[in-house]
Parts: sequence; C-alpha cells; structure tokens
Amino acid sequence: MRLGRDSVAGLIFLAVSLALLVQSFGLPQLPLVPVGPGFYPRIVLIFMAVTSAALIVQDLLARRAEPADVPAPAQPQRAYGLVALAFVIVALYLVLLPLLGYRIATVLFVAALQATLERPTTWRQWAVLAAIAIGTSAVTYLVFERYLTVLLPRGSWTDW
Amino acid sequence: MFELLGHGLLTLLQWNYLVPLFAGTLIGVIGGALPGVTITMTIIVILPFTYGLDPLQGLAAMTGVYVGGSAGGLVTACLLGIPGTPSAIAATFDGFPMARGGAPGRAIWLGAWSSFFGGMLGGLFLILVTGPLAAIALQFGPWEYFSLFVLAMAMVAGLAESSFIKGLLSTAIGLLITVIGTDPIGSVPRFTFGSEFISGGFPFLPVLIGIFAFAQIMSDIEKAGVPKTPEAVLAAQPSLRVSHLKVIGEILGRPFLLLWSTVVGILIGVLPAIGGSAANMLAYDQAKKFSRHPERFGTGIPEGIIASESSNNANVGGSLVTIMAFGIPGDAVTAVMLGAMTIHGIQSGPLFVSQQPALAYGIYAAYILAHLLMVLILAAGAPFMLQITRVRLAVLAPVVLVLCVIGAYALNNTMQSVYVLLIFGVFGYALVRCGFPLAPLILGLILGDQIEINLIRAIMTDDNPLLFFTRPISGALLLCAALSVALAVWQHMRHQARTPREGAPEF
Amino acid sequence: MRTVLRILALATALAAMAMPAAAQNYPERPIKMIVPWAAGGDTDNIFRPFAPLLQKHIGQPIVIANVTGASGTVGAREAKGSPPDGYTLYAVHDYIHLVHYAGVTEVKYSDFEPICLLSATPSVLTASPKTPWKSWAELAEDAKKRPGQITVGATLGSTSHIFPALIEKAAGVKFKYVSYEGLAPRMNAILGGHIDLTDSNLTQKGKVDAGQLKFLAIAAEKRDPEAPDVPTLKELGMDIVYAVLRGLLVPKGTPAAVRAKLDEACGKAAKEAEFADAMKKQGTRVSYLNAAEYGPFLDKLDRESKVIMTELGLAKQ
Repeated sequence: MRLGRDSVAGLIFLAVSLALLVQSFGLPQLPLVPVGPGFYPRIVLIFMAVTSAALIVQDLLARRAEPADVPAPAQPQRAYGLVALAFVIVALYLVLLPLLGYRIATVLFVAALQATLERPTTWRQWAVLAAIAIGTSAVTYLVFERYLTVLLPRGSWTDW
Repeated sequence: MFELLGHGLLTLLQWNYLVPLFAGTLIGVIGGALPGVTITMTIIVILPFTYGLDPLQGLAAMTGVYVGGSAGGLVTACLLGIPGTPSAIAATFDGFPMARGGAPGRAIWLGAWSSFFGGMLGGLFLILVTGPLAAIALQFGPWEYFSLFVLAMAMVAGLAESSFIKGLLSTAIGLLITVIGTDPIGSVPRFTFGSEFISGGFPFLPVLIGIFAFAQIMSDIEKAGVPKTPEAVLAAQPSLRVSHLKVIGEILGRPFLLLWSTVVGILIGVLPAIGGSAANMLAYDQAKKFSRHPERFGTGIPEGIIASESSNNANVGGSLVTIMAFGIPGDAVTAVMLGAMTIHGIQSGPLFVSQQPALAYGIYAAYILAHLLMVLILAAGAPFMLQITRVRLAVLAPVVLVLCVIGAYALNNTMQSVYVLLIFGVFGYALVRCGFPLAPLILGLILGDQIEINLIRAIMTDDNPLLFFTRPISGALLLCAALSVALAVWQHMRHQARTPREGAPEF
Repeated sequence: MRTVLRILALATALAAMAMPAAAQNYPERPIKMIVPWAAGGDTDNIFRPFAPLLQKHIGQPIVIANVTGASGTVGAREAKGSPPDGYTLYAVHDYIHLVHYAGVTEVKYSDFEPICLLSATPSVLTASPKTPWKSWAELAEDAKKRPGQITVGATLGSTSHIFPALIEKAAGVKFKYVSYEGLAPRMNAILGGHIDLTDSNLTQKGKVDAGQLKFLAIAAEKRDPEAPDVPTLKELGMDIVYAVLRGLLVPKGTPAAVRAKLDEACGKAAKEAEFADAMKKQGTRVSYLNAAEYGPFLDKLDRESKVIMTELGLAKQ
C-alpha cells in the first residue's frame, strides 16, 4: 500500500520531533533558572510528535475507508521544473550577492529569472529585459541606500 | 476632553503639522505596501528627520506612518497575495482570492474602508478609555500572558478548514522554529548542531516573508508554463471600478463584525508584546467562528477582509493607549515612538496625558486625521497600484523577490536573514504543496518566544504551577482556549458530515 | 560576452588600484554603526543623537544598523566579521565583557580596537509601587527576614543582573531573579507588581513622580541634581558605584590613520553641547575617553567583570 502525502509529511515531522526530543535532554542546566533550556522545547516537541502521529493515523484510516483503486482526481498540469529552476536562480543570487555586491548581482538575477520565465525572442525584447534588470537594480539601490539609510551588501570581489 | 481634542484637531490642520502628518502617512502606506519593508523599518527611516522637528510634528509624522503602514499592507496582500506587513496576513486569505476573482478594486476598497472605520472606532476607544484599559493590561503577569497566548493559538489552529490536525501540527512547527537558536533566558544554544548560522535563530520577519512570498510566487510560476483556460483569461481582466457607497454599505451592514473585530484589535493592541501581526489573525478567526457560513471563508468573501483590516488599524489605537497611559511600548513601532519622545526630552509615563495635554491630544488628533489622509492617498494611488495586477509574472516575480531580499537584509543588516528567507521559502512552498495551513504556523512563530519567556518567568516567580488555573484572568483564558478547541472540533465534524469526502491527492 | 568580461576585469583592476589610497581619503562613503539592540532601546537612544554629530565632524553619513538578537551577541559577531576598513563602527556597553565570561559568545572586547568612551548611565534601584518599603533600610530588613523571596527582574548575566547582585553581596541579602530582557518589559512587570525590584535609570523619573514607581537608591558617586531625594548607595553604606558605560569600537586591524580620524571626530562630537543635552534627557552623563585612554579602561573593566562573574557563579568554566 502506498503511503499518502499526509503520512509521508507526518512521518518526517515525527522523526524530526523525536530526534530533537532526544537532543533536548543533553542541554545544560542553568544556575538561577529552576527549569532548564530543554523544558519548553520538550513540551513543543511532544505536542508535535503527537500531532504528527495523529496525522499519520488519520491518513491511514481515510485510505482504508476508500478503495485504493479510485483514480486520483485530474490535477492541472504544473511546471515543477520551472519552480525548481527559479529556486536555483534565487540561491545563486544569494551566493553572488556578497561577492559581486548588490548592484551587479541584482542586475544578473533580475535578467536571469526574467529570461527563464519568459524567453525573449526578438532583439527588442532582450533590450527591454536588460532595461528592466538594470532599472530595478539602480532604482532600488538609489532609494534604499540614499534615502532609506539601508546600506546594501557590497561585493568582496568587486568592492562595489 | 472633546474641547482639548477639538483644539488638537485645529492645531494639526495647520500647514506645519499637516505636512509632516501627510508625509508620514504617505511613506507609511508605501512602506507598508512593500513586502519586506515593515512599519518598524519605515518609522526608523523617518526617525532622524523628526529630530529637527518640534515634538508634535515628529510624533504626527510617526503616527501617520503607523496608521498608513497598517493600511498599506493590504494593497500587497490583496494584489500579490503577499502580506506587505505582518499585520496584513489575514487580508491575504480573502483579499487575494477576491482580487484574483476579478475584483481587485473591491478587495482593496473593502480593506481601506474597513481600516478607516476600524481605526475610527479604535480612536474613540483610545480617547475614552485610555486609563481604565491600560490599568487592566497591567494586571497581566506572566501567567496571564502565557494563557492568553495559548488561547490565541487554540483559536487560530481551528482556522484550518481542511484538517484540524494539520492546523495543530502547523502550530507546532511554528513553535519549533522559535525554539531553534539561542534560548531566550540563558542564551544557551539549542538544536544548533554546533552551527553559528543556526545559533542566531530564525528571525520572524524573514521566515514570514520567505514563506508567503515564495509560496505565492512559486505557485504562480507552476502555472506559468501551462496554457490558460478561458475563464482564467477572463478573470485576469481585473475590474478597477468600484462603488464606494456600495463598499461602505457592505461594511456598515455588518456592524457586529466590525465592532467585534475592532474590539479584538484594541485589546490585542493594549496588551504589550503581541501587536498587529496577531490581532488580524485572531479577528479573522473570530469572524469565522461567529459566521453562519464559515466554510466560505478563504474564498474571497468580504467578511474576511473587513475583520482583518478593521482589527489591525484598531490595534494601532490600542498600542497608543499603552504608550500614552504608561509610557510602555507595546510593539517595536511604539518603542521607536517612545525613543523619539525621550530624545525630545518628554517624560513618558502615567502623567503624560495630564502634564502634556496639548501633545497627547495632538497625537489623538493626528491619529484621526491620518485615517482620512490614508483614504485620500489610497484613492489617489489606487489606479497605479491596480496596474500591478497587469504586470507580467516574468517581470513581477524577480522584482518582488529583490524587494523581499532587501527587506530581509535591512531587518538586521546581515546576509543571515537573507539565507533564512530562502530556506523558509523552500520549506513554506513544500508545506503549501502538502496542504498545510500557514496561518497557525505564523502565529506560532509570532508567539513562540513570548510563550516560552512567560512560562519560564511564571515558574521563576513562583514555583506553584496551579497559579495558571487559580489566578482568575489566567484561568478564564485557559477555559476559553479549551472551549475554542471544542468549538472548532465540533464545527469541523459538522462540516465534514455535510460534505462528502473528496479523494485525497497523491504525491 | 567577451566585452562584459573585459569590463568586469577592468572594474576589478580599478578597484584594486583604489585600495592603497583608501586610508588617506577615508571616509569616502557612508559609515555603518552597528547597534546590537533594537531601535528605541536605551543604547539606541544614546547613539542615535550621537550619529548626526559624528557625521558633522567626519563628513560622511553615519547609518545606524540595529543588528539584534541573542543578548546582543549577533551584533557582536557581525561587527567582528566586518572588514576592518573604518566603515563599520560597533556601539557597545559592558555587556561585551559579561556575555563573554558567561560563555554566550566567543567574541571578546579584544577582537576590536577602541575609539572612544561616550557615556555613563548610573543604575537606580527601583521598587514596585505595590511593595511596602519606603526606603532601602526597610527593604534590607524585609529581605533579611525573607531570603530568596523578593523578586528582581533582570536580563540574566547582563548589567541589570550584575547591579542587584552587587547589592546582594554588599548587604548580605538574597533575591530571587526573574528573567526580563530589556527595560520596557521590566517596567511593565514592575508597574503591575509582578516583580518587586529592578535596575532602571533616571529616564523613569516620570513614573516616580506619578507615584507608580519608587527609586530606592542610585549607584553614583553623588546624588543626581535631577533626582536629589534619591540617596546614593555609598550614603547607605554600600561601596557600589555602578553605571552602564557605552562607547565605540572598530574591528581589529583597522588602519591606524583611519582610527585616528575617527578618534578625533568622536572627540569633537562628544564635546558638543547638543550631545550633553541629549544625554541628560537619557538620565545619562557624558563620560568621554579618547582611544588611548579607552583601551586601558576596557582592560580594567574586563578584569573586574571576570572577577564579578566568577564571584557570582555566573562565569562558565
């Protein structure tokens, strides 16, 4: 029998809460405080373990109640590959941010994500894309650094 | 009293006060609307400018930011599904579906006018009951706070329509996130696995933005490659027109909802340490509990927007009560306002209203006028803001994400918060895909630290655990929490009995 | 693509060439001042009025960055990790010694170079209106009768804890500590009578005038003109002078020329009448030391902190 989505999620959270629960007993006691730093986390973790277990039970019961061969409802088609790619681009942006500095990294990020979501085909569309990328970087930099007193990250490679 | 208020209003209508008030409100609306830029950050930004102003000018500008920011958050919440500020979280629940359903104008104006009416009612309370209300707040010791937070979580866990258990588990996850990092009492690292990165903990704001912004944007990207159905194309033509009279009628036609949401907002505001981020969710929960059709909440109905938005502006009034009556800041925003007052040499405290009546009633007047200005600013800006709904996703997604990154970075001026943003972006997206409700998780995040601190404080003050039940206010709150859970379970079972079960989706 | 690379290479080369000149032209861009606590707090309120004065004398904007969390140690770590180029200042008080010995952080005051000491805020022993004591003598008598029962709100292991602990030791009494981080929550609790005593400062005088708080003693050398009725601990027979001392540091390795410029600008800014006014409103007095004096002062403070923390049993072995 295949496990449902809820059971899988429940199992993950159950495992996490039990693992941390074990860890919580290794925390030191504090002078002056009658209960240690592990006291409250244990309450939370036990609560979490119980609800995770309940979720698994609920899911299993629900699955037993229904015949297993009911076809899954037709799901709209989803572009999960694109989502993964978008996450990777954001991650790259965060890696480059402290290296290239806010201004350069942001231009690259905005351009890259735009091109990924909607590939420009004509020369004109590429120009618009570049303009949006540079514009976003320049305008946000000016507004935040000059007027909102937020010093944005500088690049350790570029000092810019 | 009203003479003093009238005098305050006349003072504020002079140009040299009206201009800072207007500027503050405008900046507040903009800051509130930008995801990642909170009201706290906005108010810190204008703080240096207030040094050069006279105290009332400065406080008027700050009051404007506070009021404007509480309303500005709803614009982003409705149009993008990302709360512009934490106090607009519940506005996304119904405001966003309504806007997506083709009525962004109605969603925004419902929110704006609810903010207005909620704020005005809040103002009335603020002026009439500053003293007595604040005195009650002082009765709240660690026991009462702990019980109150438990009640808040019991209420919001019941919000989840799909599964009560998932709501509870979601709360637990939120609480667990706050436990990771440095322990708030003795600064002992907990569950950090020796990593310096984790030992800083996961600050609330980047987690919030990460979960909401990524969950929303990535869900849109999912559908990006898929050809649109005819009705989706139709819905994408947003109607900008809106009849203000009709919207106001919709709000005032639900006087009980408006009044109760306002009361919830004020009460949460008066109690220090909770703030608008929790008020709007609790008001939303109350609206749903008292509703005759709770199952329609979350589909884009006006009640959800009214509850959320009237409560968060009333919350501002409540926070001002605490600061006026005791000189104790209820949240980060009022802490900065208090800081500005002491920089001007004004002694805050219980004598403030009687010793500085001109200033105190000036703040009341600024609060009232800021609501009027806020409506005017939204009216002038709405046509431009609604254009957001027409921007293509390929442009919108990167720009919004850049703003989220800046917001997270600016919070602490460290890259750490930005990494947290991404981690919880991935996590939040996964949770949404698995059908977990986000609201209980967020409330767990907001209250987690406070629950622990108050629990430990209570134990440190007196080692008798029965005090949680025998102190009257605390005991009553815990009883309400138990009743709230019971009610939610009962409502849920009734709902399930009525609707046939749908097939559970597979991975 | 090749042109892009070429431009990048050129930019890198230019940046590299600009490096050696940095110290002479310092400062060329805004300077970040890390305040490790939230905006609107005591420390923030002291450095915020100072920032524009320093800006006036150094000639570049001073931008305050509140880097909060974990008893101020997140800010300490961030300051330590910042490039030592003079574009990051670090606003500190005595906590930097205390949290190190409490074992909260590895960061130590010696990871930084001193610039200047700015202010001293004398601690005031403050009692809840719901307590029966009118003076220190009555409190001391009661405390001897009920050891470990009178509650004190404090940030454990920080200045608000050290101060009452010193009194405990001097008077031979025993308090019970309850964790309240920050002055605002402590005020909230003490007004409601949920704690009996706390450490505060003269900014709370408004509440005392309203009869909502009681100042029992001030830990200064002599009585403060702002609150002449409050006796000093010395008058009461306890040799305790305790103030929260706030100053500026920069990361270790900052060039001497840059430090000299900062030192000079701080000296001028601290002597402005405006600064003295601002400090008075914070229940604080200006207590200026230049970089050369501040260094040894920090060394002494660090030794004393170590002794206190060890004696109180708060130091981590």
